[in-house]
Amino acid sequence: MKTISKKLSKAETEAFGAELEEIRKDVMAKVGTEDANHIKRVHKAYRYTEILGRGLIHFSFEPITFGIGTLLLAGSKILNNMEIGHNVMHGQYDWMNDPRFNSRTFEWDIVSDSKQWKFYHNYMHHTFTNVLGKDHDYGYNFTRLTDDQKWKPVHLTQMFSNLFLMFHFQWGVGAHGYRVEYMEIPKKLRKKRTLKEYRDVFFKKIELQLVKDYLFFPILAGLNFPKVILGNLLANMIRNVWTYSIIFCGHFTENAETFSPEEIKNETRADWYIRQLKGSSNISGSKFFYLMSGHLSHQIEHHMYPDVPSRRYQEIAPRLEAVCKKYGQNYNTGSFAKQFAEVWKRIFVYSFPNKIAKKLLGNVKEVQLMPEPQIVMVDTTSEELIPA
Amino acid sequence: MKVLPFIYNSPKEYWNYFQPTNWLEFVLGEINPLYSVSTAKAKVIAIHSESADAKTIVLQTNRHWKGFQAGQHVPVTVEIAGRRVTRYYSLSSSPSAKNPTITVKRQKGGLVSNFLNDRLKVGDVIELGQASGEFTIDPSALPDKLLFIAGGSGITPIHSIIKTLAESNYKGQAKLLYFSRFKEDIIFFQSFAKLETGNSWLEVKHVLTDVPSPGYESGFLTTELMDKFVPDLKERLVYLCGPAPLQTSAKEFLKDNQVISELFLLPTQIQTNYQSSGPVEVVLLQSHKTVLLKGEKSILEELEDQGIYPPSGCRMGICHTCTCRKTSGSVTNIKDETMSDSGEGNIQLCLSRVDEKLELDF
Repeated sequence: MKTISKKLSKAETEAFGAELEEIRKDVMAKVGTEDANHIKRVHKAYRYTEILGRGLIHFSFEPITFGIGTLLLAGSKILNNMEIGHNVMHGQYDWMNDPRFNSRTFEWDIVSDSKQWKFYHNYMHHTFTNVLGKDHDYGYNFTRLTDDQKWKPVHLTQMFSNLFLMFHFQWGVGAHGYRVEYMEIPKKLRKKRTLKEYRDVFFKKIELQLVKDYLFFPILAGLNFPKVILGNLLANMIRNVWTYSIIFCGHFTENAETFSPEEIKNETRADWYIRQLKGSSNISGSKFFYLMSGHLSHQIEHHMYPDVPSRRYQEIAPRLEAVCKKYGQNYNTGSFAKQFAEVWKRIFVYSFPNKIAKKLLGNVKEVQLMPEPQIVMVDTTSEELIPA
Repeated sequence: MKVLPFIYNSPKEYWNYFQPTNWLEFVLGEINPLYSVSTAKAKVIAIHSESADAKTIVLQTNRHWKGFQAGQHVPVTVEIAGRRVTRYYSLSSSPSAKNPTITVKRQKGGLVSNFLNDRLKVGDVIELGQASGEFTIDPSALPDKLLFIAGGSGITPIHSIIKTLAESNYKGQAKLLYFSRFKEDIIFFQSFAKLETGNSWLEVKHVLTDVPSPGYESGFLTTELMDKFVPDLKERLVYLCGPAPLQTSAKEFLKDNQVISELFLLPTQIQTNYQSSGPVEVVLLQSHKTVLLKGEKSILEELEDQGIYPPSGCRMGICHTCTCRKTSGSVTNIKDETMSDSGEGNIQLCLSRVDEKLELDF
């Protein structure tokens, strides 16, 4: 993968890392009442949209109210998964000491078990971001997105398999969890029994979710049950398509880079910051868009500071962008349409072997390097620094 | 039931997954912040100044609060800067009063005591736990002679007990020895004056430790003072509540007495000046994190210093909110300096100091 960011020297990297630590300190000092009020407000919105959505689906007699109810329920599920679930389970609100927003007890409205998710997402994905073979989120073990991944004939179908995944994303998220747990066991220790144990956790969650959406609520509607089943199905699907779209824009856009396990050996905290920056990409949009994306629109900020309350990413972004500019680092951002198109282009291009993929990429503009870093490294042993 | 095996095997777990209580709690809370399915909550209906730096907070509780016995304490949870914090306070009213009260003295650097004194308003809703504590009096077997020794905010449970005695037509004889720093620092001065005039069995003596004032005894607990005030000390049942130095010196005098005492340790007072030999690795199994802790403060505090926030409550070992499973390694109990074994077991994070490499199911 070619980089368009300037390669930084060791000292420059450390200085970059230090500036990011400074931002973190500044922001963490401000975390308090506002953040608590924010998550409580979102929680309230999630509860009300669910009540209203399910109520409208239940009592609707014509398509418009049914449609509004379905959209509200979908919105409720999106809020629950994105702005509440994802962020709470990162421990962003553990400091509140409120059992509703504690990463240890939170369980979300999706077929993925929260404990399995925390393992493969919080630990594996956030530690080994975009490291091929370690970060199982990179292509989710079936999509080829870079020339560093070996091509197999099955990749020819990845346009279709991804389209399928988009509509059933929650199943992908859930099934991914137990498989990552299993794959992380040393090969010798892997047994059918352990796989079954991991899978049962997933199956249990599936059962819980399916009964809720397709048995419990439909039964409440009596003979009107098909309507409720349809509404729930559509709401789940809208949520799936939305989360898929947001999440794929996070790491698979054109200039999001990958790394090899060798590259991250002896990585310092500052190196890790650089890798998070190079591997992630943002989406620009409105405040409402940020909220509905669970602030994953600020993927870069999220990867730098996964445990900082999400609404703070908006104020971090301009500062971070300025630091990136100063150090000649690419700050990957763009509109949703642009980023999403890039993702699909990548899925398409890399479904072919490298030779064809290169040709397809050939008509892309030459890779442009970012301008020279505008930093002056001060030699700390310089005499000028010693006060006279 | 092959179709739904998990629900069939654990229907209760499934029912909980629906979050019925959370939903009800939410809906009730939207109607009235005092309503709840199971949580005891209270609305502040009045706040009185009790001394230079103590306030009495009058509470209107909801039906989940089960009342208390005179002398007991209650966990109070408030939200400060978005964070829920819990501290224990003794109830200062008599149990028969319609609205229970707590009396809170400002502690130097204390988070909650200062918040309650400065920021709490009439109309605010706070969360309560159930009352507990052994610092109580048995109404069926009241002793003939009683002595109460209190210092500072230690007077609050004693105030409750004496008020209760007054209500129950106590026939014996009781004396109260109360140490305050200066005249304006005396808590319940008016209330005790009223109790003393209305009840011939009660005798109150105020002692000022820091700033002497005419008409008041000054100094600390001495043999002279004890001999003069309670010549019949040996015959009395003693209730003792106050700061640690007072309790230590009082217990010297009370070797032959039956003493019921209560010592509230503030979170900052539990810390010892223990010097550890160096940082120790602590593996957090669920979080997939390994952190280095110094072993100088409690594990709870050291984790918080690193930005990791385990659920916590009273921070003095009473409420068990921070209880956590330890799979290996040993810890020292800060309160009594005992060391745990290195096997599996539950530890209270607020009371444990790390000794050797730990693995926590957290």
